[in-house]
Amino acid sequence: MSSISQDFAPPFKLIAPFFILGSFFYLISSLYIFSFNIEDLTFLNPEVLGFVHLFLLSFVMMTIFGAMAQLVPVVLEVGHFGVELFYAIWPLLLIGSVLMVFGFLFSPALLPYGGVIVLVSMMIFVMEIFMTIFKVEKLNLVMTSVLISNTFLFFGIIFGLLIALAYAGTIDLDITSLLRGHVYLVVAGYIIITIMGLSVVLVPMFTLSHGFSMRPLEIAIGLMTTGVVLVVISSIFNIMILEYLGYFLSAISLGFYFYLIYIIYDTRPRKENDVYAISLMFSYIAMLVSIVLGVLYFIMGSEELLLACGWVLIYGFFAFLITGHIYKIVPFLVWFERFSPLVGKQKVPMLADMVPYKSSQAQFIFSALGVVIVTIAILTKSDMLIGAGASFLVVGAVAFIRSLFYMINFE
Amino acid sequence: MVYTKEEIFSAISTVIDPEVGFNLVEMGLIYDAECDDEGNVKVTMTLSTKACPLHQMIVSWVKEAVEKMPDVKEAEVEIVWEPVWNISMADDNVKKALGA
Repeated sequence: MSSISQDFAPPFKLIAPFFILGSFFYLISSLYIFSFNIEDLTFLNPEVLGFVHLFLLSFVMMTIFGAMAQLVPVVLEVGHFGVELFYAIWPLLLIGSVLMVFGFLFSPALLPYGGVIVLVSMMIFVMEIFMTIFKVEKLNLVMTSVLISNTFLFFGIIFGLLIALAYAGTIDLDITSLLRGHVYLVVAGYIIITIMGLSVVLVPMFTLSHGFSMRPLEIAIGLMTTGVVLVVISSIFNIMILEYLGYFLSAISLGFYFYLIYIIYDTRPRKENDVYAISLMFSYIAMLVSIVLGVLYFIMGSEELLLACGWVLIYGFFAFLITGHIYKIVPFLVWFERFSPLVGKQKVPMLADMVPYKSSQAQFIFSALGVVIVTIAILTKSDMLIGAGASFLVVGAVAFIRSLFYMINFE
Repeated sequence: MVYTKEEIFSAISTVIDPEVGFNLVEMGLIYDAECDDEGNVKVTMTLSTKACPLHQMIVSWVKEAVEKMPDVKEAEVEIVWEPVWNISMADDNVKKALGA
């Protein structure tokens, strides 16, 4: 039998809980939207904060951490420092994020406890990634992006813990200022820089694109890094000019990143529009829409625009980028574990055969409609449309869970 | 020479890339193959991306496919990154199927 490198493909049982929990929390987040009252939608409303943490921690971070268990060795070209540590990460992240959501909704006293458990979970993750990066002899641009994003995550969770302590009344700090730093460190510094770095490895891998320059990525990561640092400095010292400069640089950074993705996509030899390709298209269009809404907010100052910007960013850009990649990552992991030892001995399925067509298409269509309807609902302040959008999102999330279990159980 | 380059390529064409569904030869990933009089084969190939998670498996599949040939004593597979693979190296049927 072939010698299979487990360094480059951790056992599926280690990664599966991240994806399964993530998919269920995608559904729970979608159900949560039914509870929104459009008049109460403001950024500091505890219900909104609870939703954002539920979605970002339990779905986005949970899924990203699981994906990183498999992708880090692929990107860094070395084995994990201690891949078994991932067995501890998901239970802690699960407990911590549930406690935090309950803290926002029912009892702020729970926030520090939830925050500390999330902190421990993320510290284990960050330290594992750092120790793995130390094994790399020479860092390339993508590896550097992993290092930068995880450094921002490290500081982002420190900020988050301070906010949780202040929110619960344990310490006295200006929550609003620190919140900007926390949000920017985690969302722009970790999630977006991670997406930038990994997507320029994964998108060309799946589309077979070659020969494009990495210069736009270099500029995008440089600008985003500077933008995050400026916003964080501003959140500590309250220097508004730095904050606006940080937002401006971040928007330009996303422009460069979008340009690179467009070049990769435009020159791709593999033209098929499977669920992966259409999910990514929707995701990047959502990113552009989010930038436009953000710019309009700065011009017009209406909070609905900022809420819609945040909504499209997390439920349009992040969610579709993640669900799209799940349709590539999960079949690979299942195939690697279940079918690769049979290569040359019997007929084995192709990875594309393991993706259920109907439920994956249903997931895409219902979720995309849901995102669009909720965006309109936020902008027009329509409770009825919020409910309608949530209904589409729930059906999309159920189809996503169905697709995930189909791929996991494929025989 | 025990086997010609074409015969070795034919043996390797049984190895399918599970992501794209084409064999490695028609993908244009196999650059060269030679066999000495004692049945030692050296295959020079590339991958469509340096970050391929199936890197080691594909190498072992190629090695196994070649070593299944009756008179092959040992096969060695070398991965090279120059020239960099691109779709123009693939067969026309692959390009057509992918829409390139």
